[in-house]
Amino acid sequence: MRPPARAYCSRSSGGAVGALAALCVLLLAGPAPAATLVVNVHTPDGHALPGAVVTVRALDGPARHATAVHAVMDQVNRSFAPDLLVIPVGSTVEFPNSDSVSHQIYSFSPAKRFQLPLYRGKPYPPVHFDQAGVVTLGCNIHDEMLAYLLVTDAPWYGRTNDGGGWSVEVPRGRYRVALWHPRLREDTDELERELTVGDSDRADLTLRLSKPLQPAPLSDRPHSWDY
Amino acid sequence: MLSGLRPAALLLVLLAASATGRATDWQLSLDTRLVSSDAYPSFMEGGLGTVRFGSGDSGVRLGRLRLALSQPLGELWSAHLDASVFDDQGGSVAGLTEAYLLFRPYPFAGYRFRLKAGGFYPPVSLENRAAGWESPYTLSYSAINSWLAAEVRIIGLEGTLEWLGTRSGHAFDLGVTAGVFGWNDRAGVVIANNGFVFTDRQTPLFGRVGQPGVAPLNGAEPFMEIDRRAGGYAGLEARYLDRAVLRVLRYDNRADPTDIDTLSHAIAWDTRFTSAGLRLEADHGWTAIVQWLEGVTTIAPQSQTFNWPFQSTFALLSKRFGRSTLSARYDRFAVQSNVADVYGSQDGHAWAAAYIFDADAHWRFALECVRVISSSTNREEQGGPPLATETQWQLAIRYALGSTIH
Repeated sequence: MRPPARAYCSRSSGGAVGALAALCVLLLAGPAPAATLVVNVHTPDGHALPGAVVTVRALDGPARHATAVHAVMDQVNRSFAPDLLVIPVGSTVEFPNSDSVSHQIYSFSPAKRFQLPLYRGKPYPPVHFDQAGVVTLGCNIHDEMLAYLLVTDAPWYGRTNDGGGWSVEVPRGRYRVALWHPRLREDTDELERELTVGDSDRADLTLRLSKPLQPAPLSDRPHSWDY
Repeated sequence: MLSGLRPAALLLVLLAASATGRATDWQLSLDTRLVSSDAYPSFMEGGLGTVRFGSGDSGVRLGRLRLALSQPLGELWSAHLDASVFDDQGGSVAGLTEAYLLFRPYPFAGYRFRLKAGGFYPPVSLENRAAGWESPYTLSYSAINSWLAAEVRIIGLEGTLEWLGTRSGHAFDLGVTAGVFGWNDRAGVVIANNGFVFTDRQTPLFGRVGQPGVAPLNGAEPFMEIDRRAGGYAGLEARYLDRAVLRVLRYDNRADPTDIDTLSHAIAWDTRFTSAGLRLEADHGWTAIVQWLEGVTTIAPQSQTFNWPFQSTFALLSKRFGRSTLSARYDRFAVQSNVADVYGSQDGHAWAAAYIFDADAHWRFALECVRVISSSTNREEQGGPPLATETQWQLAIRYALGSTIH
C-alpha cells in the first residue's frame, strides 16, 4: 500500500499571552496580519522536488484573484522556452518564434483551444487565457516540442525552488494548497491539503508524492532526428 | 513517362515556392569515404558481396551527395524532395530517394490525421531516423533496412491516424497507418538473387539495381508496375513518452507472380512481409533497438512456382557521449529457397561497430567496421566458398549546409 501524501501544519502553543500579543498586533497594525506559508515538496524517496507548481486559495473571506499578467513563451532551438508557465486567469501570452524554422503551435486542451498558423518571428497578437486549467502546447511540425501553461484562478501561486520549497505571505486564515507538476502520476486531488495559518508567523506544509514522476523529456537528442 | 516525374516534381516545388512566398528549407551534404574492404563485389556491381564496397572499391569513394528540399504549400500541405548521387548506380547518375506531399491538419480533440502522397519509405525502420533516411548510429544499415533501401518503397498514398495521448495528460501516443501503392512489383528481385546485404546505398525511385548486362540482377528496376494491381500495408505504432516506440507493419505488394511485363520481360515478384520493432531511449544517451522482419517473395512464370522465405533480426545498442556516438549492432539473416538447386538460399550473421563524431552542425566524422559471416549457395555456384567472412572498414567525412543547419 502506498503511503498517503503527508501534510504537516505548524501551530504555535497559543495561550493568553499569544492572544494578547495578536490583539495588540491587530490594534497597532490594522487588519489582516500576514504570516508566511512555507510549502516543501518531496519525491517518494524523500528528495526535494524543484519546479512543482503550488497554488493557494483562501477558504474564508472574500474571493481573491491574482492580477492578470502578460507573459512570453518563446520557441528556441525547436523547444518551448520556458517549458512551463503559470499564469492567472485573464492573462495573455505571446508566442514568438526565435528559430529559423517555422512552427505551427496548437492546443486542443479544454481550457484553451487555439492554433497559430505556420510562422517565424512574431506575427501574431498575444493569446488570451480566460479559463482555468492545464493547456498543453505542441507544434504540428515538430512533434518533440511540448510545453504547458497552467492557467490558475488561485490568488497565490508559484513554483518550488531547487530545494523543493516555496513560500508566500498570506493573511491568517484557512487555505487549500494544491500541487501540480506536468509529470505527476497521481491524481491532483491527492495532492491538495487544507491548513490553517493561525497564530504563528509561519506555517509549514510538507507534501510528499506517493509515486515517482514520469521520466523527464530526453534533452540531449539531436533535433534533426525524428521523434 | 516515369523519367519525366523527377523534373515535374522539382518544377512543382519551385512553382509552389514562388506561389506561396514561403521560404524553401534546403540541405546539401557531401559524404566521402575512405574504404578498406576484403568483400566480394557488391550487388550493385553484379557480385554477391554482402557489404556496399567490395575489395575492388577500397580507396576513396563517394558515400552520398544529397540535396533535400522542403516547401510549405499553404498552411497544411508541404512538399519534400530528397535527391542523391551515389557512385555505384550502374548508369543512373542521380535520383530521388523520396519525393512526397504531406498533408498535416491540426490535431482535433486529441486526434491527428496525416496523409502522404508520392514516393517514400513505409514506416518500418526504427534505425533510419536521421535526415535522408540515414542511420545516426552506423554508416551501414541493418540487413532489414538495407533491404528496404535497395528495393522497397511506397509509391502511393499513406494515411495515419494518431491519438496524441501525451498532449492530453497521458503517457502514451497511439497511431494506425495504412497505405496503398503501385510500382513495387519487383520488390524481391534483390533478396532472392543476392540475399540480405549491409549497405547505405538507397535505390532512387524508379532507379536500377545491379549492372545492366551482368547477371543476376541485370540492372533490374524494383520500382515497376506490372500487373496493375495495387499493393497495401497496414501498421500500428505505440509510443511511451519520448522513451519507447513500438512498430508493427504488414506489407503485401499483391503482385501477380504469374505476370511478366511484355516490354521488358520483367517478372512480377509477389512479396509480403511482417515487421516489428522496438526502440528504447534512456537518459545519458542510451538507445537500444530491436527489429524483426519475416516475409516471402514468389514468382510463378510458366506455371512453376518459386519462392524465397526470408527472415532477419537485429539488436543495436548505442551510447552518446557529448558529440560522440558509439554503437554496436548484431544482425542475423536467412533466405530459404524452394528452387531445385536451392538457388538464392543464404544464412548468416553480422557485427557492426561504429564511432561517430559530430564536430558541429556541419562536420561529421565516422569510423565503422562491418563483419559479415554468411553461407550462400549462389556464391558457391559462382566458384566462391559456401561460407565466407567479409570485412569492410569505412572512414567517413561529411559536410552539410542548409537553411536549417547552423
